[in-house]
Amino acid sequence: MLQSGAGGLGCEILKNLALSGFKDIHVIDMDTIDVSNLNRQFLFRQADVGKPKATVAAEFVMKRVKGVKITPYYGAIQDKGPDYYMQFQLVICGLDSVEARRWINATLVEMVDPQNPESLKPLIDGGTEGFKGQSRVILPTLGSCYECSLDMLTPRTAVPMCTLASIPRQPAHCIEWASILEWPRVMGDKKLDNDDPEHIQWLYEKALERAREFNISGVTYSMTQGVVKNIIPAIASTNAIIAASCCNEALKIVTSSNPYLNNYMMYIGDEGVYTHTFAHEQKDGCPVCGNMATDFHAKADWTLDEFIERLKEKPDVQIKKPTLTTERRKLYYAGPPQLNELTKPNLDKRLKDLLDSGEEVAITDPGLPFSLRLNVIFS
Amino acid sequence: MASSIPSGAPGSREKKYDRQLRLWGANGQNKLETAHIALFNASATGCEILKNLILPCIGQFTVIDDKLVEEADLGVNFFLDEDSLGKPRAERAAALLGELNPDVMGNYIIDNFSNLLSTKPELFEPLTTPFTHFVLVSPFPTPLLLLLPPEIPTFLVYSLGFTTSLRVSAPIHTIVETHPDSLTDLRLLNPWSELSSMATERTTNLEIQQKVDGDGGMSDHEHGHVPYLILLLKYLEDWKQSHGGNYPATYKEKGEFKVLIQDNMRTNVPGGSEENYEEAIAAVLKNVREAEVSSETKEVLNDTKCANLTLETDNFWIIARAVKDFLENPEQGNGLLPLSGGIPDMKAESNGYVDLQNVYKYKARYDASLVEKNVRTILSSLNRDPSSIPLDEIELFCRHSNFLRRILYRPLPAEFSTLPDEHHKKAVCAALSSWDADTSLIHDYIALRAYQSFVTETDGRAPGDTDETLEVDTAEMTRLAELYLKEVGWSTGLGERGKNMIREVVRTGGGELHNIASLAGGIVAQEVIKIITQQYVPVNNTIVFDGISSRTGTYEL
Ligand SMILES: [Zn+2]
Repeated sequence: MLQSGAGGLGCEILKNLALSGFKDIHVIDMDTIDVSNLNRQFLFRQADVGKPKATVAAEFVMKRVKGVKITPYYGAIQDKGPDYYMQFQLVICGLDSVEARRWINATLVEMVDPQNPESLKPLIDGGTEGFKGQSRVILPTLGSCYECSLDMLTPRTAVPMCTLASIPRQPAHCIEWASILEWPRVMGDKKLDNDDPEHIQWLYEKALERAREFNISGVTYSMTQGVVKNIIPAIASTNAIIAASCCNEALKIVTSSNPYLNNYMMYIGDEGVYTHTFAHEQKDGCPVCGNMATDFHAKADWTLDEFIERLKEKPDVQIKKPTLTTERRKLYYAGPPQLNELTKPNLDKRLKDLLDSGEEVAITDPGLPFSLRLNVIFS
Repeated sequence: MASSIPSGAPGSREKKYDRQLRLWGANGQNKLETAHIALFNASATGCEILKNLILPCIGQFTVIDDKLVEEADLGVNFFLDEDSLGKPRAERAAALLGELNPDVMGNYIIDNFSNLLSTKPELFEPLTTPFTHFVLVSPFPTPLLLLLPPEIPTFLVYSLGFTTSLRVSAPIHTIVETHPDSLTDLRLLNPWSELSSMATERTTNLEIQQKVDGDGGMSDHEHGHVPYLILLLKYLEDWKQSHGGNYPATYKEKGEFKVLIQDNMRTNVPGGSEENYEEAIAAVLKNVREAEVSSETKEVLNDTKCANLTLETDNFWIIARAVKDFLENPEQGNGLLPLSGGIPDMKAESNGYVDLQNVYKYKARYDASLVEKNVRTILSSLNRDPSSIPLDEIELFCRHSNFLRRILYRPLPAEFSTLPDEHHKKAVCAALSSWDADTSLIHDYIALRAYQSFVTETDGRAPGDTDETLEVDTAEMTRLAELYLKEVGWSTGLGERGKNMIREVVRTGGGELHNIASLAGGIVAQEVIKIITQQYVPVNNTIVFDGISSRTGTYEL
């Protein structure tokens, strides 16, 4: 059994697995303990702040529950390859990042060898926000995967640059201005550290000044932190519900004792209690578990740069610094520098001068755990 | 004058509780920290519930349990360890739970409810009890359930194998901060004079294309930045002119109204369309409608509590009455609630947006000031200090005035007496005859009712606790379920799912599964938090979860 994530959901999952009789558990997490974790991550105490989550969680649960062996790994899931993942019966995720989820999902889908049933590792995934959460069972290649449902995520609507630069209206616009435009302008190459209170204080002060200039009210330190770090509210009780649901499904799968979740449960607790349990359908042309390149409609007059901007807007793509190639040419390389220099001029060229309608473009990106293939069709 | 920038950096408590303060704020947190939860039965489920309440920092908890820790506890309860074997469960659970948060005070009593009721009755008298909320984990015999003071919010929990359920009972529960998706109330069809004149003023030259600077026309840039609210107000006026003074009302008319807006959009601009016009068109169906009082708020304003105020009446009802007076007074709301005052973000220049925002904000502030006046008058007439309700509280109430809730929880005896009341009978029969009756979790509830009768009869022994009694217990559980169905007036007897659920409950022998105990701990803690903070909307009044199909059912029983 492999568990990835030892945070809010992870602490619960580890406890649940241990008390469900799983004897050999591996846990991966790359984070260290922060004081703001203590309101829900119950395996950690004030004195543990700064230590690796995976290690502290493993020690605590082994001490409390006799006869369970927990192997912690303090690092990123991406550090490990298919050989590592092949040793487990099932993978259960309590991750807080979309990128990490996409990566593990793509890795497990990729690992499936139809000749070898052992290579199919069920993936159970949970996530929460405030009083809401969801748990799901993914059988790689056999049903809907994480990537298939990416468009269910509410995209974080990006504020247009011109709003930030010249016509802010909301406190959040002032904060984003401070972090996206003002910090690099004043600080140059110095990297913004979201976890450094002095950096947040600086952003807060700049945002507040700007808000005053435009008569906008409502900028606070807490909001600054929330916007910059994209903080999602989290409480122990919701984590408990979702983690327990995930582990309940894991136990049912492993013991074949009862039918398991097919394949998605949403729990919504802010107005009464409402759950929705349904089978999310595999998406035709899912870039991970489907095999086909999907169609993407574009205007022949778009510049390559414009094309990339449009791609970034798609909630089911979510790229940041893409590299684009076709069979016949390198369209654009975000790195290394030499290739970037070489391909940069293409950004201003029109699509019709680079591609034929219907030509396949392969896109790779640090945020994409796989290579995305699109048939670019001119409309 | 030098303006100073406050250091907004949070204190250590704000840091620790940051992720939850973003949900319920300092208001909710303060309420949480004054709660004292009594847990009856330190089972895995009970301890998991407390865990999820101790972490966010309730004030105090007391574990009440008279058993000793056994080997079987360790396999399922994370808050009992090997060192606890043979020691009182109450003491050990309180100790291990207490470690979770040094800000919370933990207590324990090694005893049971029945004894305490005779030896320490003051623990259960509303005026003398230190407890603010009771959490009971079954088994808890029915006659004792009926003795619980109805003034104290009570959470009755079952967790047997894959099945768990929660029944909430509480005195009348009121909520201001229900946290709806949006508080926005645009009043497009009920504009007040400042809003109307702003719309007129900002659109005088809307149709004139500027040729040169200062020719009185509107440049493309300005035209593309007129906030869509202003556009809607302007075109609604135009529509009225050409439609005998009526606003677009039907779906068809709203469609035509969208076309009217579309036709006025400038298209000879970069991109071929204007974002503010697109926003206006997108907002028509949702926002072009009369301001209405929601049915939930009507329930609050029409409650007798609003009419019969006394010296002891809660602030909630006094402000509610002041809002009702505002609504009914032709000089004040004249049929409308106080304005919430918020507007969504929209394409606009900073100034134009902030000015518009201020028109809404000032109107909201003005409405609240009238409600405040009403509050002060009411307080005086009750011989209470007229300033005893702060303006902040009144403004918060006014902002939420269309999203208020009051929940009348049914008392436990109405459900659990030998003769349940008509409401209960109807609710159960309705669920049993609904379109999804075959798979309905009402059958799980019926099996739990049989379990409740069984443990009452046997003084706490669970059906199926030994292999020898499996068959007799199943027969007895079936008899009790049939008896209950007869009591509620359901003559067709136990359905297929009902029979299966009886078998399932007997099979567990009263045992918990850790995952389900943990899940129950989460569900119950969410509801306890909602009741304590008086924020969000708690369930009314029963939720059942089935861990086999991963489904929930909610019922008012
Ligand atoms: Zn897929």
